[in-house]
Amino acid sequence: MDIWLIVALVVALALFFDFTNGFHDTANAMATPIATGALKPKVAVAIAAILNLVGAFLSTEVAKTISGGLIREGDGGIQITPVLVLAGLIGAIVWNLVTWLMGLPSSSSHALFGGLIGAVVVGAGFGAIDGSVLVAKILIPAVLAPVTAGLISFLVTKIAYGITKKRERDGFKKGQIFTSSLVSLAHGTNDAQKTMGVITLTLIAAGWQDTGTGPAFWVICACAIAIAAGTYSGGWRIIKTIGRDITDIEPAQGFAAEAATTATILASTHLGFALSTTQVASGSVIGTGVGRKGASVRWKTAGRIALGWLITIPAAGLVGAIAAFIAGFGLWGIVLDVVLAVAAILAIFLRSRRNLVDHRTFHVPEPGVFVRPKRRKGQKRTGERR
Amino acid sequence: MINWWSFAEVVIASVVSAGLLVTLFSTALRVGDGDARWRRPLSVALYVLCGLVVAFGIYLIVPALHAFGT
Repeated sequence: MDIWLIVALVVALALFFDFTNGFHDTANAMATPIATGALKPKVAVAIAAILNLVGAFLSTEVAKTISGGLIREGDGGIQITPVLVLAGLIGAIVWNLVTWLMGLPSSSSHALFGGLIGAVVVGAGFGAIDGSVLVAKILIPAVLAPVTAGLISFLVTKIAYGITKKRERDGFKKGQIFTSSLVSLAHGTNDAQKTMGVITLTLIAAGWQDTGTGPAFWVICACAIAIAAGTYSGGWRIIKTIGRDITDIEPAQGFAAEAATTATILASTHLGFALSTTQVASGSVIGTGVGRKGASVRWKTAGRIALGWLITIPAAGLVGAIAAFIAGFGLWGIVLDVVLAVAAILAIFLRSRRNLVDHRTFHVPEPGVFVRPKRRKGQKRTGERR
Repeated sequence: MINWWSFAEVVIASVVSAGLLVTLFSTALRVGDGDARWRRPLSVALYVLCGLVVAFGIYLIVPALHAFGT
């Protein structure tokens, strides 16, 4: 009887995690086109949502391998239980929402890994975690990703500004639509699958699905819809950080940064050296800020982002560990876990209402449209129709 | 543990492809700016090349296009 409840909870939380993954990562693809005015904010998130939806149906390779590595399984290892997955998901969701509230573009994959690691450490001890895999697969790439993308972005920004003249550079806006769409599609094929993998893993652990099989069709559909809905809701705070706060982006820079992001992500997924999309995208924006003469990078913001990356795994891990500890008290522990998680989600949501950031933040007046100057105090309304 | 060679491959591939895309698009913009008759067709041709680079990107993203049989 218990297993029903737990699996249902895991599926629900996994889908919610997928949703937060979507709105956390809208910024990777769409922050620069929104910042330069290449796409209107609502149009940009709609394109990203559709491409994520389509992308989710294109591949299930990542989902099939999600449980491999990192957590030792099989002989001499441990069996990850649905309860530990539940605790890990709570850690990932809470951390994703906290970083969203602070406008930090942190990696959703790292939050998920962190949460699961924390839960597994409490459930099975440190021996269950393969430390060398953690360093090789997560920590070193986390340093290399932004540096690589930043350098490439710096280089291509120089090329773009070297070739074109000032009056031609508005043309880059058209190009931005294509490059950012590519990033969105690539994101959809990767990220929705992490959730599919988690749900499938749980179904297998519960004994409802054969070991070694891929995600069921309803799982694929549900994950695709969840990530698309999340993407469409737009993580406006993070879009603001990447698009506005790091550096002021011109269309040529936007195009250069997106080209660098796309190239780095595609090369890394196809040459077997996985890099985080979020870190690549942030690195690209910093690189293009350094690359344009007269542009300045706000290194304080960049530093905050880097700090966010650094603590993502431990922080999500800590929440996951606490959740796993509480879940250790049996059914009532699990119920308490979920209640606490929902309370945390609500609290973060209510806190976010205090300083609202939404698509209106990015309103760019159409060029040529007359902007009415502010009326001075005491000035008479002469000749003005109502 | 770290496969530095595959990392180097990633860097080289990214630099070449991003550099190619940006060079093509920038040149297309540069060439398209002016009245001479030869400019327009050349500019369009460069945009088409950009389109091919993007199409290659889609080809890489969609597994059904390149991963059949595996």
